[in-house]
Amino acid sequence: MSKHRIVIEPSSENSNYWKDLWNYRGLFYFLAWRDVLVKYKQTAIGLLWAVIRPLLTIFVMWFIGWLFESKVPQGIPRILLVCAATLPWQFFSSSFSEASGSLVANSNLLTKVYFPRLIIPASTVIVCLIDFLISFVILLIIMLYYQFVPDVKILLLPLFLFLALVTSIGAGLFIAALNVKYRDFRYVIPFIVQFGLYISPIAFSSADIYNSTRIPQLVKYIYTLNPMVGIIDGFRWCILGGETPLHLNPFIASITVSILLLIMGIWYFRKMEKSFADVI
Amino acid sequence: MENNIIQVENISKRYLLNHQNTGSYNSLRDVITDKAQSIFRPSKIFSKTNTEEFWALNNVSFEVKQGDRVGIIGRNGAGKSTLLKILSRIVTPTKGRITIDGRVASLLEVGTGFHPELTGRENIFLNGSILGMRKAEIKSKFDEIVEFSGVEQFLDTPVKRYSSGMYVRLAFAVAAHLEPEILIVDEVLAVGDAEFQKKCLGKMKDVSSSGRTVLFVSHNMAAIQSLCDKAIYLSKAKYKKQARLIK
Repeated sequence: MSKHRIVIEPSSENSNYWKDLWNYRGLFYFLAWRDVLVKYKQTAIGLLWAVIRPLLTIFVMWFIGWLFESKVPQGIPRILLVCAATLPWQFFSSSFSEASGSLVANSNLLTKVYFPRLIIPASTVIVCLIDFLISFVILLIIMLYYQFVPDVKILLLPLFLFLALVTSIGAGLFIAALNVKYRDFRYVIPFIVQFGLYISPIAFSSADIYNSTRIPQLVKYIYTLNPMVGIIDGFRWCILGGETPLHLNPFIASITVSILLLIMGIWYFRKMEKSFADVI
Repeated sequence: MENNIIQVENISKRYLLNHQNTGSYNSLRDVITDKAQSIFRPSKIFSKTNTEEFWALNNVSFEVKQGDRVGIIGRNGAGKSTLLKILSRIVTPTKGRITIDGRVASLLEVGTGFHPELTGRENIFLNGSILGMRKAEIKSKFDEIVEFSGVEQFLDTPVKRYSSGMYVRLAFAVAAHLEPEILIVDEVLAVGDAEFQKKCLGKMKDVSSSGRTVLFVSHNMAAIQSLCDKAIYLSKAKYKKQARLIK
């Protein structure tokens, strides 16, 4: 008979899940396209928002860093140091919060059609990725203004962008699945994003933390567990060059946390996925 | 057995209902103090409620043959919509097993995923892909869809500015051009004015007479009579009987 045989059973592990996901890539594309279209509809300045929002954050974080006199490596303008960190942070915070709320925002789809639910949070991240690429213009302009020429390491940037993607999808999937059942998480997300802005190396650099004698060793360890630390340090290392070295051990710790987040996020999402339509 | 396209075996679906144990609240003050207490004593939130099982479907079995057009009838709450949701893989059954041989498209609501900010044109593509059409498929049927809906003039207007009739017509037009092997439809024909309803019914007939298998839930017996050749009767979550309809 037909090659599309579907077996529906109570708790059967759908062995075709990843194949299904591939078959539904068209829907993934259309949902991402919808989010891109809708995002700046009926706004006067449209896409400019993708530049203005990170720009304002850069100024504020630059001001905080300047006020508290955080250290700036030799030969690098402070604004460039802040910018190289704010852009990945902005990408993480927006894709994390969008992905976390995405299932509830699309509840009408969840209860009316079948598709691998992973598509929804994944497609919202695409919009944030596009915003990130647009906001990259800020960095280019600042570099041009200070006539700062990055070295060949900048070619490794996509790798760190990918890490940021992994982290935000991992955390996003986890919270999105929890949010379906417990709407409490809707209130947790802004806190994570707000605190993250201050405990990640944006206004300061990781070297300040590691070289400080006032900070206990334990706090330094905890600090490295923030996956954004490794990612932001990586961005700075790629863009600014040798003056902002990549601390290897903390970096490995951060990456490990990112990957664990992704694995846990997917695992929990897959576990809860079947009951989404029942409890949403 | 060979040409059973859908085989449903002992399907059951259980929901848990929460009931509040307490007597009626007398005053706003009682409500407030009670809520306040439950904040400080979280265990109270849970102890207050007890759960009851509710079987939305109970041991339902039947099969559908290739090319059958089956109407599913029953009173409100008989489990028809739950059955369709299980068949379309939106919810999982608690017990039982279903085997389906073919591509399924389900139409449980008109205009699923329509976005008010998008234009009619954009929504055709979005809705089409949500219902399982490929991009090339939508493109090739685009003109037909637009013509069927009769909203050519407003194709580039956001659908939030559409009248409700236009909205529903456009949504149905997309759905009517689905071409799956199995089509699952829930009570969606009751839209638009009488003339459009007739058009929809005609379109549905075309779809079903082209050898496709159709499962159709409706309270409109006239629609079932004209569309389907068989009917399944559900009552109180149980399968009652299946019968051939007399034309």
